Amino acid sequence: MNVIEHPPIFRLPGIPDHVTYTWLVMILLAGLAFAASRNVALVPRGLQNFFEVVLEQFQQLIDDVIGHAGRPYLPLIATLGLFILVGNLLGLVPGMNGPTTNLNTTAACALVVFFAYHWIGVRKQGALTYLKHFMGPVPLALKPLMFVIEIISHLARPLSLTLRLFGNMFGGHILLAIIFFLMGLDGLIGWALSGSPIGAVVGGIGGLVMIVFTVGFLYPLKILVSFLQAFIFVMLTMLYISGAVEDAEHHGGEPHPAHH
Amino acid sequence: MRRSLILAGLAVLAVPGQALAQAPAGQGSWVGPFAVLVAGFAMAIAAGLCALGQGRAVASAVDAMARQPGAAARIQTAMIIGLALIESLAIYVLVVAMILLFVQPVS
Repeated sequence: MNVIEHPPIFRLPGIPDHVTYTWLVMILLAGLAFAASRNVALVPRGLQNFFEVVLEQFQQLIDDVIGHAGRPYLPLIATLGLFILVGNLLGLVPGMNGPTTNLNTTAACALVVFFAYHWIGVRKQGALTYLKHFMGPVPLALKPLMFVIEIISHLARPLSLTLRLFGNMFGGHILLAIIFFLMGLDGLIGWALSGSPIGAVVGGIGGLVMIVFTVGFLYPLKILVSFLQAFIFVMLTMLYISGAVEDAEHHGGEPHPAHH
Repeated sequence: MRRSLILAGLAVLAVPGQALAQAPAGQGSWVGPFAVLVAGFAMAIAAGLCALGQGRAVASAVDAMARQPGAAARIQTAMIIGLALIESLAIYVLVVAMILLFVQPVS
């Protein structure tokens, strides 16, 4: 592991990397939001326009998944989505360590989601009604068993959110580190520059192939995975919130909002 | 053909034993080299099965989109979510393999 470790550009003394780069993501997002809201105009231009489009997309997603009851939760969902997206993308910049490549950051996001959707469910329906929905539509004799199974499946949710985001980001990080190790100055390119003729041919061709592979395929794939994992995290959050909120509508018989 | 494959598999299993025979006496258990082998096999099996599952999901999604082109956007969203959930199972195996290789809880 030591051979593929590479320290980032700057480190604050005594503070772990993931905290430092979380602060960097926070400063970036807060700075962008501040700049976008300087002169708020009715007809948006420039940065304000861009962020209005982004927020409108989040609003559309929420309307599709949770429905009208989901409007108050836009700040939580958009913050989570933008933080995870920028955190993922920051890990791709050479010289920076992304915060989401560390288990602590992803576990923090997953715990926020876990407590948030339970708190939303309890606040919307009351504690006893919310707990009664854990027991599901099974006959009375099976309700305790159903309750235990539901508790286990609810506890598996933050675990799966954490590991999914962490595994995708950290796995891509390790893959990139190993490829740099294989083709860098210790590997193929070093062999090509070392002067031996076989090294120049094999190392040169191999190095070129790996550079084209990395820049042309791996980096676009990592960018796609960054966007996709942020989207999946946000989508699952909305599904959990809709699961906690929608049970109140079963009694009212309100139909699911149609796709418009 | 099958007998030679079985013999080759057993020979692969003997390699970590060789690594242990050269380890200095009184140091390290016999788990370390086998942990690396297990990590590799586990990741390969997980990747293969995950690919099978995702292939079925995409095939069904594409069939449905061809049948009802109007619903293509919603089907695509559901397909993306399904693919990410199936992939997360392979990611769990990746995390276990990384624990075996880097954290080395038993060595």
